[in-house]
Amino acid sequence: MNRKWLVLLLMIGTTFTSGCWDKKELNEIAIVSAMGIDKDKEGKLVGTFQIINPGNVAGSLQGGGGTNPAISVYRATGNNVLGLDSIASTKISRDMYFAHANLIVIGEEIAKEEGINAIFDAFERSPEFRATSRIVIARGVKARDIVETLTAIDKVSAEKVIRTIESSEKQQGRSISVNLQEVIKNLVSTGKEPIISGFTVKGNTDKEDKMENTQTSDIEANPTTAGIGVFKDGKLIDWLDGNKAIGSMWVLDRIAHTNLNIDWNDKKDAITYQVQRQKTNVAAKMKNGKPKMLIKVLVEGDIREANIPVNLNSPHVLIDIEKRLAKDLKKEMEDAIVRAQKNKSDIFGFGEIMHESHPKEWKKIEKDWDDVSFPKLEVDVQVETFIRRTGLRNKPYLSNLKKSDQ
Amino acid sequence: MEKAKISGFQLFVLIFLFEIGSALLVPLAGEAKQGAWLVILIAMIGGFLLFFVYYGLFQYYPDQLLTEYVRHIMGNFLGRIVAFLYILYFMYLAARVLRDFGETLLTFAYPHVPLFFANAVFILVVVYTVRKGIEVLARTGELFFVLENLLFMTFILLIVVSGMIHINNLKPVFEISGVEMMKMSFTETLFFPFGEIIVFLMIFPYLNEPQRLKKIGIGSLAASGIFLAFIMALNVAVLGVDLTIRSQYPFLSLIQSIEIAGFLERLDVYFLVKLMIGGFIKISVFTYVAVTGTANVFNFKEPSRLAYPVGFVILLISIVIASSYSEHIHEGLGAVPIYVHLPFQVIIPVFLLVIAYFKNRKKKQGFVPPKP
Repeated sequence: MNRKWLVLLLMIGTTFTSGCWDKKELNEIAIVSAMGIDKDKEGKLVGTFQIINPGNVAGSLQGGGGTNPAISVYRATGNNVLGLDSIASTKISRDMYFAHANLIVIGEEIAKEEGINAIFDAFERSPEFRATSRIVIARGVKARDIVETLTAIDKVSAEKVIRTIESSEKQQGRSISVNLQEVIKNLVSTGKEPIISGFTVKGNTDKEDKMENTQTSDIEANPTTAGIGVFKDGKLIDWLDGNKAIGSMWVLDRIAHTNLNIDWNDKKDAITYQVQRQKTNVAAKMKNGKPKMLIKVLVEGDIREANIPVNLNSPHVLIDIEKRLAKDLKKEMEDAIVRAQKNKSDIFGFGEIMHESHPKEWKKIEKDWDDVSFPKLEVDVQVETFIRRTGLRNKPYLSNLKKSDQ
Repeated sequence: MEKAKISGFQLFVLIFLFEIGSALLVPLAGEAKQGAWLVILIAMIGGFLLFFVYYGLFQYYPDQLLTEYVRHIMGNFLGRIVAFLYILYFMYLAARVLRDFGETLLTFAYPHVPLFFANAVFILVVVYTVRKGIEVLARTGELFFVLENLLFMTFILLIVVSGMIHINNLKPVFEISGVEMMKMSFTETLFFPFGEIIVFLMIFPYLNEPQRLKKIGIGSLAASGIFLAFIMALNVAVLGVDLTIRSQYPFLSLIQSIEIAGFLERLDVYFLVKLMIGGFIKISVFTYVAVTGTANVFNFKEPSRLAYPVGFVILLISIVIASSYSEHIHEGLGAVPIYVHLPFQVIIPVFLLVIAYFKNRKKKQGFVPPKP
C-alpha cells in the first residue's frame, strides 16, 4: 500500500517538476543576432537590436521567402546597456534572447568621444551572452545603419558582417576578427592596446533597410569592411587602411594569405606574390638598459601574376625577386610600426612580450609604456621570403610575344 | 561503522574526485597570477605531509573511525566533544560545498530558481546515496571517474585543436615572489582542497587492503594536485591572468571560449556535468562521514536512518551561512582556513598523533610491533 502511494507521488512529482521552472518556449523568445550601440545628441546610449524573423530566413529554401525581410530591428534609448534591454522590451512582444547574438556594432562617435571602456561589463557578466561575440566599429555611419541593413546572400546581416571580416582577414589581412573576450583582455592589459575592425555601408544608404535593396543584382547599399580602428585608453584614435592595416597584421602574426606586389623595370605592381605560409616571431631584448624589439618573419609563397617578360626559370631571378619582396615587406611593417608609435598606442603587444621575458625591467617602465617607452622603442625587422613555386607556367607568355624579342 | 569494504582503486577514485570536486570551479590560488599552478603544486607537497600525519593515526587504529579512537586517545568525555566538533566540521564543509554548487548553478544556468530549491533537489540525491552506504558511493564514484576521464580527454583535445593555448601567458612565472607563493600555499591552498582529505580518516578503515593505503593516498593526492595545477595553468594560458582572476568560474569561461569551425561552441554542458559529478561526490563523502560519525558518537544502531535529518540540517546550514555569493567566497578564503581548517586539519590531528605515539609506546613494550 505504502509503495503504491510512493509511486503515485513520484509520478505526480515528475509531471510537475521536470525542468519547467526556467522554461522558455521557442515562440516566446526573440533571437537577437546583432546589437548596435550609438549615442544620441543628449549623450544617451541608443541600442539597435537585430532580431531574426525565423519564418523569413528559412522561407527562401521553399521558394516562399524573399518578400519579407529576414530581420526586424528595434531601437531603444537608455543610460546603460541593460537599460536598453528593458526599454526595448516595451516594444517587442517576446523575451529578447541573447545567446545567439554574435555581433556587437559600436558607433564611431561613441568610440571616439566616450570610449568603449564603459560598455562591455553587462555583456561579460551575463551568462546568456557569448564571450566569443565579434565586435566591429561602424565607420562613418551609425551602428544602426549596419545593424538594419538587408543583405542578399547571407539573409541575416550579422552573419554577413562576421563572415566578411573573417574572409577579409584570411584572404588579405585587411581586417581583424576580434571577439569580446580579446577586446576586454587588451583593454585591461598595460602592454597591449585593442584594435577592432571597422565596417561601413557603401552606396545608397537611404535604401539599406528596404527590401528592394536586395532585389537587384548590384546591391545599392552594401556593408563593407573599412580598415582597422586603433584604440588608446579605450578611445578610438586612428584608422589603419590598406598597407598600414596589412603591415600591422604582419607584426601581429595574423596573416594567413595575402598578396605582395613589386615593381619591375619601372612597371608598377608587375609581379604578384601570394603568401602561402608565414611565421612572425617577436622577441624583446635589453640593450644598454633600453628595451629593443626583434621581429623575424619567414614567408613562403608562389608567384601568381607576372605582367612583364621575366625569366622565372632562373633561380637567380627568383632570388632577386625574393630580395625585393623582403625589402618591400620590411618597409610595410616598419611603416605600420612607426604609425603605431606616432599614435602612442602599442597595438602589437610589445609591452606584453617585455613583461613575459623581462619582468623586472617591465615593472619599472610599465606605468608610462604607451606614452614614453613605446614611441621611442627601437624595432629591428628582419624578413626572409621564399618563392617556392610559380604556378602552371614558367616564363610569362609576354616574353614570347614577337614584339618583345626586338 | 557499517560492515563494508571498498577496494584500493575505489578509494583512489573517491579521493581524486573529492579533491578536484569544487576546487576546479574557483580560481584556485588565483592571487599568485602566472604562478598559480606552482602554488598548487607546493600546496600538494604540504598535503603529502598532512597525509602522513593522518596515515600515522590510521596505523595506530587501523580498524576504527576517527570519532572512535579520539575517545581512546583523549578519554571518553573530551574525546566525545572533539568527535562531535569534527562532525559539525564535516557538516559545515558539506554545507559549504552544497552552497558552492547551488550558487554556481543559479549564476550560470537557472537564474530564476530559488537557491533553496536547487540545493534541496541536490541534497535529496546525496541523502539517497548516503543511505545506501559507502560501497554504493564508491561504485558510483568509479562510474563517474570513467565518464569524467572521457569528458576531459575530449575537452583537452578540443582546447588544443581550437588553438587557444598561448604558453606565453604563463610568463613570467614569478610575478609574485617565491616567499609570497610559499605563504599562499600554506595558508590557503593547503587547506582547500588538499587538507580536506582528513574526512577520509572516517573511510580508510573500510579499505580492504590497508597495507596499500600509503601508496593510494599519496598517489591520488598527487594525481589530483597535478590535475588541478594543469587546469589552472590551462586557464591562465587561454584566458590570461586578468580574466582568470576576475572570473567567478574560470573553468566555465575556458569552456565558453572554445570555438571550432564556427559550430563547435558554447560547450557549457561540459562544465555542468563536471559540476554535477564533482559536487555530488564531495557532498556525498562529507554527508556520509557526518552520518556515520553521528551514529558512532551517539551509539546509534542504524546510521542510514540518520541520513535524512543530517541532510536536512546540511541543507539549512547551506542556506544560512551567507547572504550573498561574495560573502560566501570571502568567508571561504578569509576566515575559514585560519579559524576552521587550521585547527581541524593540522593542530588537532598532530596533537592526537603525539598522544597516540606516547600511549602506544608504553603499551607496546614487550609486544610485537604492529604490522606496517
